Amino acid sequence: MNNKTKALPRERYRSFLEHQDRAIGSFLEIGAPGVWDCAPGNGSASGDDPPRGECSGENGPHLTDLPLAVKDNIAVEGYHLTCGSPMLQSLKAPYTATAVEKLVEAGALVVGKTNMDEFGMGSSTSNTPLGTTVNPWDHSRVAGGSSGGSAAAVAHQLVPVALGSDTGGSVRQPAAFCGVYGLKPTYGAVSRFGLTAYASSLETIGILGSRLDELEAVFRVIRGEDARDQTSRAWPRGDDEGEGSRDDAPPGTIGVLQGELGLSPGMEKSYRATQEALTDLGYRLEPVTLTTLDYTVPAYYTIAAAEASANLARYNGIRYGHRPVFAENPGELMSSARSEALGEEVKLRILLGTFVLRSGFQDQFYLRAQKIRTLIAGELDRVYQGVQALLMPVFPCQAFLRDQEEGMDSFRQKVADRFTCTANLAGLPALAFPAGVQDGLPAGMQLMGPAFSEERLCRVARDLSAVFPLQFPGTSRSFSEWRQGSDAARGGS
Amino acid sequence: MYQSFIGLEIHVQLQTKTKVFCDCPVTFGDEPNTRVCPVCMGYPGVLPALNGEAITLGYLLARALNCRLSPVSSFDRKNYFYPDLPKNYQITQYYQPLGRDGFIDLEFRKKKKRVRIHQVHLEEDAGKMIHAGDMSLLDYNRAGTPLLEIVTEPDLEIGEEAELLLQELRRIVQYLQVSDGNMEEGSLRCDANVSVNHRGEGLGQKVEIKNLNSSRFVRKALTWEIARHQEILDRGGTVTQETRLWNENRDQTESMRSKERAHDYRYFPEPDLPPFRADQPFLEGLEERLVELPAARRARFREQWGFSASQVDFLCDQKSTADFFEAVVAAGGAPDQALFWLAGDVRKLLKRSGGDLLTSPLTPQRLAELLDLLARGRIHGKIAKQTLEQVFLEDRDPSAIIHERGWKQLSSREELLPVLERVLEENPLPVEELRQGATRPLGFLMGKVMKATGGRAEPAAARTLLQELIEAPRRVSSVQVLSFGGAIAGTRREDGMIEPGDLVSLAELFQADPELPDSILFEELRLGRFLSEEITPADWATLLVRIAGTLDQGGVQGIVIAHGTDTLAYTASLVHWFFADTPVPIVLTAGEGPPGEGSRGESGENLRRAVLCAASGSAGIHVVYGDTDFLPLNLKFERVDSGGGNSFRTWNPEELLRSGSSLAPVARGVEQEELTRCLEEVLGQTCIVRVYPGMRGDILVTLMEAGIRCFVLEIFDRGTASLREGPFSLRNALIQGRERGVLFFCTSQQEGVVDFSGYVTAHALWREGAVPMGRLTTESAFTRLVTAQVEVLCEGEARSRDAWRERVLALMED
Ligand SMILES: [Zn+2]
Repeated sequence: MNNKTKALPRERYRSFLEHQDRAIGSFLEIGAPGVWDCAPGNGSASGDDPPRGECSGENGPHLTDLPLAVKDNIAVEGYHLTCGSPMLQSLKAPYTATAVEKLVEAGALVVGKTNMDEFGMGSSTSNTPLGTTVNPWDHSRVAGGSSGGSAAAVAHQLVPVALGSDTGGSVRQPAAFCGVYGLKPTYGAVSRFGLTAYASSLETIGILGSRLDELEAVFRVIRGEDARDQTSRAWPRGDDEGEGSRDDAPPGTIGVLQGELGLSPGMEKSYRATQEALTDLGYRLEPVTLTTLDYTVPAYYTIAAAEASANLARYNGIRYGHRPVFAENPGELMSSARSEALGEEVKLRILLGTFVLRSGFQDQFYLRAQKIRTLIAGELDRVYQGVQALLMPVFPCQAFLRDQEEGMDSFRQKVADRFTCTANLAGLPALAFPAGVQDGLPAGMQLMGPAFSEERLCRVARDLSAVFPLQFPGTSRSFSEWRQGSDAARGGS
Repeated sequence: MYQSFIGLEIHVQLQTKTKVFCDCPVTFGDEPNTRVCPVCMGYPGVLPALNGEAITLGYLLARALNCRLSPVSSFDRKNYFYPDLPKNYQITQYYQPLGRDGFIDLEFRKKKKRVRIHQVHLEEDAGKMIHAGDMSLLDYNRAGTPLLEIVTEPDLEIGEEAELLLQELRRIVQYLQVSDGNMEEGSLRCDANVSVNHRGEGLGQKVEIKNLNSSRFVRKALTWEIARHQEILDRGGTVTQETRLWNENRDQTESMRSKERAHDYRYFPEPDLPPFRADQPFLEGLEERLVELPAARRARFREQWGFSASQVDFLCDQKSTADFFEAVVAAGGAPDQALFWLAGDVRKLLKRSGGDLLTSPLTPQRLAELLDLLARGRIHGKIAKQTLEQVFLEDRDPSAIIHERGWKQLSSREELLPVLERVLEENPLPVEELRQGATRPLGFLMGKVMKATGGRAEPAAARTLLQELIEAPRRVSSVQVLSFGGAIAGTRREDGMIEPGDLVSLAELFQADPELPDSILFEELRLGRFLSEEITPADWATLLVRIAGTLDQGGVQGIVIAHGTDTLAYTASLVHWFFADTPVPIVLTAGEGPPGEGSRGESGENLRRAVLCAASGSAGIHVVYGDTDFLPLNLKFERVDSGGGNSFRTWNPEELLRSGSSLAPVARGVEQEELTRCLEEVLGQTCIVRVYPGMRGDILVTLMEAGIRCFVLEIFDRGTASLREGPFSLRNALIQGRERGVLFFCTSQQEGVVDFSGYVTAHALWREGAVPMGRLTTESAFTRLVTAQVEVLCEGEARSRDAWRERVLALMED
């Protein structure tokens, strides 16, 4: 195969990234071109074993030279794995996540690691001292979170696709804030091996992208069963084609979430516009109310915090990560390491999780949350008997201000997760898509569907893209634009 | 009276190739932190992937422990911070263990017990933290090793039972190849919970004991801890609920200094692992992997071959030994011979070479071949031993070795004739005596023949040919008569007293006996001139070595031992414990006076019957007295009727046998000097105490201080003996004995079966470690105890006091 003519000029691309990212701070680390595709298989640590994951070979190396940014809580050998935390600031990933391994095998290039809220805990990418990421549309506003770095990098045209992770909306909310597509796959559809755990039963690796076909191509590569993640599941056979080709698929029925949604005026407008667009495209809309909606956030935070309290217990400064200068004994070493190197939001959630798991209190908190979770899944099951997908907002408002005072406090940020965390509690796929620009900021909506309906969600979003074409912020430049510009500048001087 | 409750939490390291949730190899003794990967080191982003073999082995063991198997078992996180736990939570099974409600059956000191298993679950091991000076070092090689935790109900009562349970569990896991079961290397670990309360008042305050890394420590720690609780309760105090550590240097448990907070492990379901479903094919697969378990195999061996408890314990302790034994039998080896050789010479050679049966050059076929050559008289015992040694050295078949070395016995006329002719030529005088009808020179000439052939002449063939050449009166049967002191060999002085002497010439005695067949050839050996109450360890050693030599050499029809009456019960049972497997009759007899006096129990008549029995009787040990052929065990010399006649009587004759397997396969192979030394040592530390009302318990303590390590306590058949508080209580002596590792065996003063199941005091005796000897009389129990100790000494393996104690106890089990 002769790809030489098309080959990405890596050094130039790196200059492009370094130059363009200065304004928005989406990357924590931009890799030397040498590590972009050498992470899996070639490293010494993972050399002995062939990857155990499902091989992406069926699709061939069709992602050749696709630049890819990866959220810094996903392991890529050759890069750091900071998870946005001072605790892991010095940690180099000793292995590569299955999803990344598959992408690199398919030809993609991991150009760098993107910023995030510490351990994925936050909705702004401000809960980290490791870097400052701004919204490319308005630098005084947040990029959303926790996959804010990945969303900003895609919106700023630094990369066409980026990997993020979605525990309660962490892919979709920043996608909506930055005006790009954000897919949260079905739980188990993509291996979590290599994704630093925050809330294991809720989270999944997700994809952010500026073009649906690339996003889908990446999804097809990374999905599938992985022996290293026993909660992963094989992609059901024939589900891609089962509903026929796009052209002759009859417009389906889409549910529209009703009720007191508490949307900002801009979001309200956008939500209505999306419904109109769908009707215009021939979809039949059904009003849907979710009786469990008010319970999703408490249930979500109870479960997430509980799992986080155990998942984050491993960071004790002994085997890797931050270690205090001095400790009297191993116990003191662990507690100093943790008190010094974990952020306030992280500590809050760990304590919350420890609290809800106490013996004697599990019935009241953790087990009750699990019951609510079952009810939510049951209710959605019934909803999907009548509709093919469910339309709802991603977040009650557009990107908020970075300023602590004028922005959104951390409690209101949590309450605002009500639309996104439903999909995580039920383990269902959801796709955030741009639904126009309101007052100079993107407004994002999401489609949620039954398990393994990712392709269907993408089809509806593709239809909608005719009405809401993806827009980039005015200050962003694509690589070719930048290259031409900089070549011209160079030529001119 | 107190009641104690012991429950165990046992961790079994599973024998998988890789760790339970990652691909790191499971090994022992590697460089620290070389068997680790991101998964078992708890790096960010890694996930556990359940090892299918680990869960299979887990289910297999749960199945073998008779558990109810969970159709679905799931994993949970147990949260606690400890430096050696990489994730600071342990993946274990809390809500849905793989098995529940099982049991394991034990038999300890003749008491059967079913210990219930609460649950069996799979979990991961932690690493190891080593404190070195002011540093703490961590090795994570062990982190993630699959562990199976077995939790028993508090059904155990004493430390010995807990020890036994661990030993049986060790056998089970080894049989199933689930684990190597090695406690010293930590493959089998145990924590114990113990509580003591007044009888009938339920569980007391629970204390947990940790750091028990051998089954012996489990026993010692529990014994110590129960005594501590009893002392506290005696004083009216209450036991503090706490965790204690066993200090093996100080032989005591100690409160853990660091105040352990009540842990809240905050268990919750492990979200990274889906539940495991034990479906039908999986369960069927388990059945295929089940093997006959040690208990079943021991029972079958007893049933099938009639072996004793200690013999089946030996054969079935390691599956490889039991398999080997059965393979030998399948290849044609006689079961009792196979056992005899495995327990004796094979064990000795394995110990010398430091190997084990599986990897040694000895195959079942080779041992069977050797036994066959021996049985067919192609070689004799001594050659067989040499050959076996060569098999170990050369890794070749016995027949090849024998052929090459020319060790085959000379049995054909052509082979023997030249040798015999030369011997006759060189020894004209004995030949002449023989022709005159004397019998003694035959032994002398046979000795010459043996010497001339390097011990290779087949005795029976050589003897027959010798008689033919000499043209001596034709005799077919050869009986060896051993004169072992007593009145039967004594002479009556003029004052009527009997003084020790030599047995009269049997040839003379029986010269005119019309009933005695002509064909019996006597070979008389004088082993000593003494009265039977004067027997010393050296005398017994002489007798035992002589019998062993004769049996080894073969060629005799039977052996007669002429003995005094008073101590015959001891010697007869001693000979039984040593030689119960004899292929020819060994007949003991006695008389109350020198032969020819014509009284009841007349020596001459007894001797005559004994010789007849030896010449044509069945294999096994016989005691011939008057017109009765007694069993060698449980003899009591008594005044039987008012007529003034004395005779023997057998106590509890039911189920007693005159033949069986030898208790001392090793001891009977040693030289006379060595055996004498062993017997002297053993008899110096063993004593019989007849318990009587008003006996002070501290008499026993005094005896212990004087070096007594084994007691036969003659009590009553229901085991009653004073255990009440005070100076007359035996309890204190028993407790002190336990601490010193002294052994107590109980026999009855009446004709009765000692059984501890009926009386409370008997149960207390049992709890304090006394072993009921069942139907055995004091004499038989005593000689068994002597034999067992001699065997243990000759085995030379039991270096520690504990090991010695265990081995002796094992040989006393029946
Ligand atoms: Zn490992």
